[in-house]
Amino acid sequence: MNKFLFPAVFLVLFTAFFWIACNAPVQNEGDSTQKLKGEGYGETAEYFSSDSILSKQPFLQEILTKVNESLKQPVPVILMQDSLDNAQKQAQAIALQDGGFLKSVKDEKGRALRNEIFGIFPARESDYATRQLADICKNGGCYRVEMYNYALNLTTVALVNNPSGQVLSVYSLPHTQPDIPVYLKKIALKIATESPEVAKALGGKPEEGTALMADTKTALNRSRCERSMHLCVSPTFVKGEKALWTIVDLTDFRLVGLRWTYVGDAGPAPALTERKIQNEKLTECYCKKQTNLEQNGWKLNYMLTSSDGLRISEVVYKGKAVIQSAKLVDWHVSYSNTDGFGYSDAIGCPFFSTAAVVAVEPPKVLDLWENGVKTGFVLSQNFFSEGWPQPCNYNYQQRFEFYDDGRFRVSAASLGRGCGNDGTYRPVTRIAFAGDKLSFWEWGGDDWKKWEKEQYQLQKPNTPYTKEGFQYKIGNEANAYFVVPGNGQFKDGGRGDNAYTYLTVNHPDKDEGESDLITIGPCCNTDYRQGPEKFIEPNPEALNQGGLVMWYVPQIKNDDTKGKEYCWAESFIENGIYSTKIYPCFSGPMFVPVQGKF
Amino acid sequence: MIKYFFPSFMFLFFFSVAGCGEKEKEIRYTGSQAFKDCKKQPAFVQNLGFDLSRSAFSTSEKRVKGLTFIQFPAQNAPEDRKLFQHPSWKEFGWLGPMAIDENGNIFIAPVPVINVLDNPAEKQNNIYKVNTQTGEMSLFIQLPMQQKPNEFNPYGVLGLVYDCEKGILLASTVAGSDRENIRGCLYAVQTKGKPVVLDQLTEKDAIGIGVNYLNGEKKVYFGEARTSDIYSVGISKDGKFEGKPRLECSLADLGPRGDDKARKIRFNAEGDMIVMGVEFNFNLIAPTEKQETPYTFRYDIFTRKWGYVPEKKIQ
Repeated sequence: MNKFLFPAVFLVLFTAFFWIACNAPVQNEGDSTQKLKGEGYGETAEYFSSDSILSKQPFLQEILTKVNESLKQPVPVILMQDSLDNAQKQAQAIALQDGGFLKSVKDEKGRALRNEIFGIFPARESDYATRQLADICKNGGCYRVEMYNYALNLTTVALVNNPSGQVLSVYSLPHTQPDIPVYLKKIALKIATESPEVAKALGGKPEEGTALMADTKTALNRSRCERSMHLCVSPTFVKGEKALWTIVDLTDFRLVGLRWTYVGDAGPAPALTERKIQNEKLTECYCKKQTNLEQNGWKLNYMLTSSDGLRISEVVYKGKAVIQSAKLVDWHVSYSNTDGFGYSDAIGCPFFSTAAVVAVEPPKVLDLWENGVKTGFVLSQNFFSEGWPQPCNYNYQQRFEFYDDGRFRVSAASLGRGCGNDGTYRPVTRIAFAGDKLSFWEWGGDDWKKWEKEQYQLQKPNTPYTKEGFQYKIGNEANAYFVVPGNGQFKDGGRGDNAYTYLTVNHPDKDEGESDLITIGPCCNTDYRQGPEKFIEPNPEALNQGGLVMWYVPQIKNDDTKGKEYCWAESFIENGIYSTKIYPCFSGPMFVPVQGKF
Repeated sequence: MIKYFFPSFMFLFFFSVAGCGEKEKEIRYTGSQAFKDCKKQPAFVQNLGFDLSRSAFSTSEKRVKGLTFIQFPAQNAPEDRKLFQHPSWKEFGWLGPMAIDENGNIFIAPVPVINVLDNPAEKQNNIYKVNTQTGEMSLFIQLPMQQKPNEFNPYGVLGLVYDCEKGILLASTVAGSDRENIRGCLYAVQTKGKPVVLDQLTEKDAIGIGVNYLNGEKKVYFGEARTSDIYSVGISKDGKFEGKPRLECSLADLGPRGDDKARKIRFNAEGDMIVMGVEFNFNLIAPTEKQETPYTFRYDIFTRKWGYVPEKKIQ
């Protein structure tokens, strides 16, 4: 198992120098599958579910059928698929009757996990942990049987003595993957060569024989999917002075990513892994620079910040400036059963940032549908803790919705799971409106009342709204918007925001949060002190016809009650591996253009 | 995010009752040899009523900011757990690496956890000292920063080790570094009398730091913060770094993650290098479970190279 060694032929092939190109944002093409746009150089491939791959790759049917059949067996283990001699078959059969070897093939509730025998080899001296084992095996007949558990990312190794029909020893290596069998190498290669992203990057479909992995075993193994904890390998294609690394996930049977490298003679390049390709892509393309997006009459820039999530700026609708900038400053998470217990999380870039929960995939641009009609687009970004959905790990989503008719919405959700079922999430969103001579009005039940000073207000059960659901309006004579807080009406599962709204003066000569804000407030204040009040107290300024910043802080309680889950996530077993069901809690206000006089 | 267990950069420090005060002697040895650890129990702990054989200093106590002194419960007696925290120990934010000298003084550095609310960037290059007699924590030295802190890098000092042969505190810091610029340093600080920086090795972003004798020469080992590589550099008797850093070994492709950085470097009695590896990308993520892996490297006197010693777990 020399999986960590790099063969000499490869040592001289790659330099440690990579490059990445940034392409157009990930676009939705009308179904649930995300596809890439752009040239493909350095692009991180999008993620597919196993089901979508199943329908797209007929050559996978056979192995998927084997997986499903094995899960129905009393011993849910796919037998070694490469050809075996009789002694190897005997060793496999002996191992599969041993309780220690089979200890992890099912979960604690007895549900079958996906397991497979990856290798059966005559035992070598290094396989004997004790002198006694070496003595038993000195006349031959001992085999090393390697099994991989896809769900747990676990390797189990048995030392089997065929003459006695006994398993002599068993050990497990967590987070370790054995060398893969030949047939899986062929599948990995097939996934890479059949992938449109790879073909696009290479300028045509590659021949299977051109991949280095075919005869360079360890090159194939030099990849990891650290975040998904899946079995990944890396077929590599050389083209002129460049080499295209691909990462293929053999747990989900999909392409994870690809990346060009320079070919050179300066020694081995660092192994290309899922996390590296994700971090580098995000850093180069979305953390260091902003991206321009023009769509459906809207024009805007966006980029990932160090600690304020995805930030949009210079938002224009049909020639009218709408937003100077909008971003999510903090997530405050408090747990009511333990006084003062919680976390104040920043979200942002994965490399060099003060974010506690980081972006993993690039921002997505998705179609927006209302009642079956496409009515705009969404700019969406997820932030993810690597252990999610295990307890005390988090997954947050930011969404900026832009409608063809000029409405827009700034929303956010927790996808669980947090540290308990008594959590309250308070995302702190900052929206700096474009333009000057702005004013802000509150619906008083009968009429609009103007706010004269910086202040805050809590959305309550008895808060008055107009018949259209408007609570505030903001703008000037040229451009104005009604503000519709979340009351469970947006058909995204949200159940109401119970939000604090703060209004502060936007000083062009004083930075009150326009640049990246470090943590603005503690986790566990349960009142208005969520951070924005720092720009109001102790002496609220008069709203003197300048620019305005609106801060919006919903308060959302999570729930793990069966059938009512909210801000929650649960693991379940699907096809023998762990998947996650999410129960997001979206919050955030909608802005509706004021037609006619403001 | 954290959330249950202690973040990677926090430390637990048990006492050893190793002898101290041995004079430096000429080393005639081929291969790797750790010099004796001289740390001594701080005097103030004698009066706390703790069972010192099962007590330790910690900067990683769940939901307790700062330094704590903990008596771990005896077997089958969970109620026997005790915790002491001097009022000054929580005044300097969340803390990380520590080193103890031959008199029981503790040197300790701040490290932010999850956010920077309690750890302002401008104070991340501070080293604090807990007085062995009083237990009071106060500023020991503010290491110079090569550049003003920036919003992209919340960290400063990440590694400390005490060279008891010369009374020199060695510190690694990444303060002021950003995505494009390496501005970290290794510092050698005189601890006797007024604290003074004796030397610095610039343009080195490092985390873990350790000291041993290699083929008779004293070496400072440091784990790079941007790569998985571990380098060594010589250090003279008067605390000056000597020669060019030399690549000794790497955590690349090892362990469950494959890109760990060396958080802590120590040497056991046999001279093996024990490296605690963690994920580190200059952000504030803190996994639920302590994602730390020990790696052992053994020096081969024939090839003059450090080789990785894999660990096998038997069921």
